[in-house]
Amino acid sequence: MSALDHPQVESSLEGFLKKVRPRLKTLFAHYRIPPQDTEDLLQQALLALIYRQEGIRDPEAWLLGTLRNKCLLYWREQRRRLYDAVDAAVLEFMAAPLEPAQENADLQRDLTSALGRLPERCRSLLALRYRQGYDPAEVAQRLGYSPASISKITTRCLAALTRHLVAPGDCKKKVGT
Amino acid sequence: MSHPTPKELEGFVLGRLSSAEMRDVARHLLVGCPQCQEVTTGLWEPEDIFEDPQTLSLAEEGSHDGYDEVLDRVFERILTTEARLTDQRSLGRKLYEELMQCPAERRQLLLGNSQRFRSRALCERLIEECYEAFFEDPRRLVEVARLAVQVADRLDTGDCGGEEVLASLRVRAWAHLGNALRINSDLMGSEQAFTKAESLLNGNRIPPVERARVLSFMGSGHMAHRRFAEALQTFDRAATIYKKLGQWSLLGRTLLQKSLVCSEVGDDEGEMRYLRRALDLIDPQADPRVFLAARHNLIYTLYERGRVREAFALLYHTRPLYLKAGDRINLLKLRWLEGTVAFGLQRIDQAEAAFREVREAFMELGLGYDAALSSLDLASVYILQGRSADVSRVAEETLAIFQAHNSHREAIAALLVFSSAARINRAGIDLAREVSSFLKRARNNPDLRFSAPS
Repeated sequence: MSALDHPQVESSLEGFLKKVRPRLKTLFAHYRIPPQDTEDLLQQALLALIYRQEGIRDPEAWLLGTLRNKCLLYWREQRRRLYDAVDAAVLEFMAAPLEPAQENADLQRDLTSALGRLPERCRSLLALRYRQGYDPAEVAQRLGYSPASISKITTRCLAALTRHLVAPGDCKKKVGT
Repeated sequence: MSHPTPKELEGFVLGRLSSAEMRDVARHLLVGCPQCQEVTTGLWEPEDIFEDPQTLSLAEEGSHDGYDEVLDRVFERILTTEARLTDQRSLGRKLYEELMQCPAERRQLLLGNSQRFRSRALCERLIEECYEAFFEDPRRLVEVARLAVQVADRLDTGDCGGEEVLASLRVRAWAHLGNALRINSDLMGSEQAFTKAESLLNGNRIPPVERARVLSFMGSGHMAHRRFAEALQTFDRAATIYKKLGQWSLLGRTLLQKSLVCSEVGDDEGEMRYLRRALDLIDPQADPRVFLAARHNLIYTLYERGRVREAFALLYHTRPLYLKAGDRINLLKLRWLEGTVAFGLQRIDQAEAAFREVREAFMELGLGYDAALSSLDLASVYILQGRSADVSRVAEETLAIFQAHNSHREAIAALLVFSSAARINRAGIDLAREVSSFLKRARNNPDLRFSAPS
């Protein structure tokens, strides 16, 4: 039995949408999803609701729960993009051969200071990555991590560095999680 | 020092600037600019972002008009899609009814040649019907699942609106066929269908809930082939997905399947533990048939452990669920269990009446193994009553019926031994139990050899 065969939903999808509208707006605002990005999230969730092959007993709770997960995934994805950008930016600074000496020294000092506030394992990992130019496989070998887990650990360390740059007050709480 | 604008900082936190701009802002923040960090900290998602949306304050409502335009657009599209879906479902039902009214040969012709029957809606309907037939009529289940496979294999991405939908339909159809053949004891056919389903599962993006469902079917397939470690592993994969999705009732269903594996390998403690946990998780409102199946198994397990009075009490409380389910197989299972528990309580007349009814129904349905097993139960009643002529008659009839539907030589040999013993008045309760136990095991293990008791 599909969701739409469920009398609760079938009788009035329009009424259901009208009813949940304020809650959807509250949820998106609460999760600070920019309006232009809500379109895909909402459409996917509502399509899943009407396509679902098994009965959904409480469509409102299901929809809100699903959207909540989608909002969290949205932020995770945004974060990943930010971590990658920070990583790329730092790698680019370090690789730039023509930086004036003073600027290079300043950059090294700032990076050292930023890394210095991270947990030890992130410090070592990012130092190998940025200062020695090691790739993830080499970092894994050097630090004794398994090749399978190095990508995850690197992401966590990049997350810690990014948090330090963007929201320093929030840094301690989330490092290594 | 020049600071990035608030817009640039926002673009940075959302990862939306060009790489050069990202680099410039990152460089700036690396210095540790408190002024800009104050802005970016405000843009960083709040700590309470993980809060349950059900607890969101109502006071927050009504002040987010920026979303109205998007909501209007999406709602309009969804209402259009829903209307289209309703039409498709109605078309699926219509095509299904038309198809099923035709004789089998005509169905093949229609599915092979008619464009009308090359329909996603029909395929969805056939798959839905597999769920119903599973409980109603196992032989019809095979027929419906074969039709679903036939339709799914003829569809292309254009018919389905995307590769993912097509792959999902195909994998579900093949998994249902594998399951249907397993239930009907065609283990070789079942294995081939599951192999096909597995290859589709591995090579395509399938929605997680469908993936888990197919894995559950495949786990049962492994179990039928007595590959218990693989079965447990496959059920665990399904359970992990259900857990991740918060599908607790489906997780309970998977634990029920795991309890069956435990039962097969003689892990009594594990069986009972999984059964109890399954019963805690399965939602009796949403999944009444599965909940009933778990209760049924628990009652039977209690009976087998000699806890007949507990089994009787639980059966008494479970009877309304069987009656509510109302389908033929469940009503037969109830009657059979009533006979079994009555036999355990030495209520011989009640047991005889129940076993006779059940046996006749299974013979009529052509379910050879179940007919044979209920016949052996009935024979046990006659043995207790000293009715040797009836024992012999039941044994002969059972052998004939079983041979008509099954070709498993060792199972036939076991029934032949029982029949021969009955003919010379040497069939006792122990032999009936031994043959019954062999048939239960041989049902899923064609390689098992029957050794006649000395």
